[in-house]
Amino acid sequence: MLVNVTSSEWDILAFSTAFKLLLFPTYRSTDFEVHRNWLAITHTLPISQWYYDTTSEWTLDYPPFFAYFEKLLSIPAFFIDPRILDLNNLNYSAWSVVAYQRTTVILTELVLAVVLFKFVRGVPDSNTQRLVSASLFLHPGFLIVDHIHFQYNGFLFGILLLSILQARHGNLLASGFFFAVLLNFKHIYMYLAPAYFVYLLRAFCMSPQGSVLPSRFLVLANVVILVFVVSLGPFLLMGQIPQLLSRLFPFTRGLNHAYWAPNAWALLTAADRILLQYAKRFGASFSVDASGVSSSSRGLPIHTFIITIIFQSVFLVKLWRTATYRSFLTALTLCGYTSFMFGWHVHEKAILLVLVPLSLLAAENYAYFRTFMLASTAGVVSLFPLLFTPAEKVIEVVYSLLWAIVVFGPLQQRLYEFPRSLPAVIVGSLETMYLWGFLLLEVVVTLCPVIAKAVAPAPEKWEFLPLLLTSLYCALGLTWAYFRLSFLYIMSK
Amino acid sequence: MDQVDSPILLPQTPRRRTRHRTSSIASQPTFRSDGSLKPSHRSLSPNMRPWPSSLPNGSYPEILAPVPRRHHALQPTTALADAWLRTPSPPLSLRGSGQHGHASFGAVAFVGAAGKESAVVQEEQGFGRRWLRWMHKNGVKHWVVPCTLLASVLVRWCVGLGSYSGQGTPPMFGDYEAQRHWMELTNHLPTRQWYTYDLQYWGLDYPPLTAYHSWLCGKIGSFIDPSWFALDTSRGVENPTSKLFMRSTVILSDYAIYVPAAWLFTRVWHSDRSRRTQNGALLTLLFHPALLLIDFGHFQYNSVMLGLTLLAATSFISGRDLLGAFLFTFSLGFKQMALYYAPAVGSYLIGKCLYLGPRDGAQLFVRLAIVTAGTFLLLFLPFLPPFAAASAILDPITRIFPFNRGIFEDKVANFWCATNVIVKWKLWTTQSALMRLSALFTLVGFLGAAIAPIRAWLRLRNQERATGVPSVMRTVLLLALLNSSMSFFLFSFQVHEKTILLPLLPLTLLLSTAPHDSPTFKVGVLTNNVGIFSMWPLLRKDGLGTQYVALSLLWNRLIGHGPYVSLRKATFLDAFTWAAYLGCALLHLLEFACGPPARYPDLFPVLNVLLCTPVFLFAWLWSIKSIIEARWTAGGVSVVERKEKRTSLDRVISSESLGAGGVSSGLAPLDFDGVRNRREKATSLGYEFSSRRGAN
Repeated sequence: MLVNVTSSEWDILAFSTAFKLLLFPTYRSTDFEVHRNWLAITHTLPISQWYYDTTSEWTLDYPPFFAYFEKLLSIPAFFIDPRILDLNNLNYSAWSVVAYQRTTVILTELVLAVVLFKFVRGVPDSNTQRLVSASLFLHPGFLIVDHIHFQYNGFLFGILLLSILQARHGNLLASGFFFAVLLNFKHIYMYLAPAYFVYLLRAFCMSPQGSVLPSRFLVLANVVILVFVVSLGPFLLMGQIPQLLSRLFPFTRGLNHAYWAPNAWALLTAADRILLQYAKRFGASFSVDASGVSSSSRGLPIHTFIITIIFQSVFLVKLWRTATYRSFLTALTLCGYTSFMFGWHVHEKAILLVLVPLSLLAAENYAYFRTFMLASTAGVVSLFPLLFTPAEKVIEVVYSLLWAIVVFGPLQQRLYEFPRSLPAVIVGSLETMYLWGFLLLEVVVTLCPVIAKAVAPAPEKWEFLPLLLTSLYCALGLTWAYFRLSFLYIMSK
Repeated sequence: MDQVDSPILLPQTPRRRTRHRTSSIASQPTFRSDGSLKPSHRSLSPNMRPWPSSLPNGSYPEILAPVPRRHHALQPTTALADAWLRTPSPPLSLRGSGQHGHASFGAVAFVGAAGKESAVVQEEQGFGRRWLRWMHKNGVKHWVVPCTLLASVLVRWCVGLGSYSGQGTPPMFGDYEAQRHWMELTNHLPTRQWYTYDLQYWGLDYPPLTAYHSWLCGKIGSFIDPSWFALDTSRGVENPTSKLFMRSTVILSDYAIYVPAAWLFTRVWHSDRSRRTQNGALLTLLFHPALLLIDFGHFQYNSVMLGLTLLAATSFISGRDLLGAFLFTFSLGFKQMALYYAPAVGSYLIGKCLYLGPRDGAQLFVRLAIVTAGTFLLLFLPFLPPFAAASAILDPITRIFPFNRGIFEDKVANFWCATNVIVKWKLWTTQSALMRLSALFTLVGFLGAAIAPIRAWLRLRNQERATGVPSVMRTVLLLALLNSSMSFFLFSFQVHEKTILLPLLPLTLLLSTAPHDSPTFKVGVLTNNVGIFSMWPLLRKDGLGTQYVALSLLWNRLIGHGPYVSLRKATFLDAFTWAAYLGCALLHLLEFACGPPARYPDLFPVLNVLLCTPVFLFAWLWSIKSIIEARWTAGGVSVVERKEKRTSLDRVISSESLGAGGVSSGLAPLDFDGVRNRREKATSLGYEFSSRRGAN
């Protein structure tokens, strides 16, 4: 296989590896300690204790496959530095543990590299696909979330893309298998499950004419059940499933995360706040619920759940009617997108669930590319507040800019189409203005603390403002891109 | 095909007849023979799309029946439509493009014709060249320089995230603290105390320009947070924000001096090369690992001194000798280490004076003397009467030239330290005798650099005068810079391991456009890599191991120095290179696996010195050999130059004659690539198209 790797592919690998090595000393979020703690838990405790341990506040809250994965990673860690695996050695930050954990991220990300490499093979326009693949491998989202903030998204998205690749090749059973595996690594991928369910049911378990193929259905069901048995079996035997589920789904949190993920709720909450201020100023004629006002996030999981289902079902009906690979890919993206837009307690990192499959659609045509450009820009900028130290800010901004130039420039050159109507011209120029607005946004966000320090009597009161601005501006673009993509999908033949 | 383009091209530029191979128009016959195609390329252009290489020859439905995709109003000016026209599509690179880049028009003729030979050519190009070609083919070539600058600032910044010299090691800390201390010093004390205040704690030991630079940085820093540079109380200040500030001063200084210097170098020295080659050279210079590690990791401002020297050399080459002298004096005024270059620069300028003849030469000499002396006076003004007592000038001088220290302090890969394993110099003879001996050795070492430029100029004197500086002097000047700095590094007194940066600069300039199979390139890369390795003990102490690995990997990939070499074609140089690399790898492995034995704690640094010194000696010998050869060619070129006056052809021929002389000159464009690029510029369809349009 190595023989087929072209020089330019080695180049990308070498460049990204060298660059990621340089990022070793960067800021690490608490997720770093979370994963170190999981290494310690899986290494020192018997499997029956994994989901009960509370030595650290960062308890294990990923599905069992991820726990097994950590167990696997803890083996080399033992030979490198046993203190990494000490359960009580909280916030251990020696060079050994930093280098080891950061290296595991780089190495496990090779799964992504290999899958993306496979994507290039066997397509008619391999140059465009290579650009798309490279853009995914070098995605600023992965750089920010994995290599600085610290997580294993590169590896997990590698599995997701492997599943999508199998779907492209027509191996729907393998596709379902890998998706089931992925679900048992990290349950956030449930956002995408409806699209998988409908597509596999329609394209695999039914003939094109619409008759059910029971044998195929049984095979698929057995494969999925088998995966879940391997994952959950030990805990089922020990009767720990309720405990496991309570760890996996903590429904005790608010509607918005501490930092508002740039979704519909962010826009709604902002509108709500503005209306509230308006009402206070000009004498409200309606009664305001005092307890509701004081809480920063209101609403119920069930409401968001219903809204998500309603929006998703529109796309799923479309997918049921046209069960092709491209349709599946779009529906998958939109499923994730809907969950991101209307989901309960969505984290801003979840935007990767949208951006990764959307990237595969980028080279479809100019309309898709435009959507991809808007969503990627807004999505990546919405990740910026994850890193708040000045040194890392510079890296994320400069890197994203570089990525945008190298990815958007050539794709634009290849796909550009002349707008055919006046509304298209207007919308197009508004979008372009919005994109340039990000430069202004970054300037404002950078200057905000400086101005607040100089002018405001209590500068710390204004710390929320850059975050709010970023969130709202990105929410605007992401919501627009969402409706754009929905429109493109519904209208497509 | 010549019938098509010769009526247009020949009368304007007769020299283009010299090409033997057409480049992009080579694809034309394919279409002609088809019969169904009009020869007009313009009508085809908008529909060009990349096609798979798997298509059988002769079946290109998209070409035969183009589907209009874009609005007609856009077609002639669409970036894409235009891009392929301007995209050079020479036969050599096209063979691969079926597999690689955005396949262009001419590719049709060559799809499927990919030979083994072209694959080898492509392998050798390196990440930098491949990326440049990709950018060009995708119509975003105007973003190449901005992207390069952004990427280089990113890498510099990331290196700066690591630890610096003396981080968290009170009471003395390291170079970082020294630089910070000077900012504190210059901001709070009157000028005459700068070189006398508490010398035990990092007394200032660089010339005044460093002090002024420190003053400026300190001024800005104090504006942000005065506590970073408070007198005495700020010693050993270490916090994230002050580190951020210090790191950004290095990047800003670098972007103010070194980066523009590198950019100018590529545009002026390689003005006859293609834009892609120039940008390739820029990449090579901007990601130079040794400089990045020392300046942005270890913490120093070498790039300012190197950048000023580079600017000076560029000025000399473009004929602005006075500006060059001014800039070189500034370089000397920033760090006295620039003296390592002085023999070469001095010899070049004296040679130029002799070349110009008694009247013009004397005039230039006097002017140079006035400019140099004036600049020195300006730099040292605060230490001279009437601003200070007459004796005040002695303070900086004694600080700048510390002859009372030993012949070497730390382990450094030079002659004295390496031979010290056998001959214990310090026991064997006295300090002053050693000083004289080292001075003698250095003098002998840079004889080549001191003589060659003068001789080359004298040879040129016998020939007809050309406007501007003869191109052969470019090579001679670079080689002289290399030779003199390398002999200082190897033989002079009180050398630091970081000083290897000085010989590495001219070497990197030489290799930046050299073809990959030339000795220049091989010696350059070997010395650079071993140069980084020679700093390993220092970098390990600073905690920059990861950065060391990452930058070496990145740069070697960038310039295309791969780990593959065919045994049959291996020369002595290849064998020597791989022996050296093997030694480096072995030492790293041993050190990683076992660590130093208790009896010899310095074992690995000593082994490092013993491994690196032969390589540096080799590079020094190679510089002498090349400089002698280059000097001889000064005569060889001129014969040609008299015949063909300053056409671009002369460089092709001169490079051929250089090749015949066995000279491995990096600047002489022996490589087919450069020749090809120039030809294709002249003959590409885009040129023809635009000139025809211009005629209409």
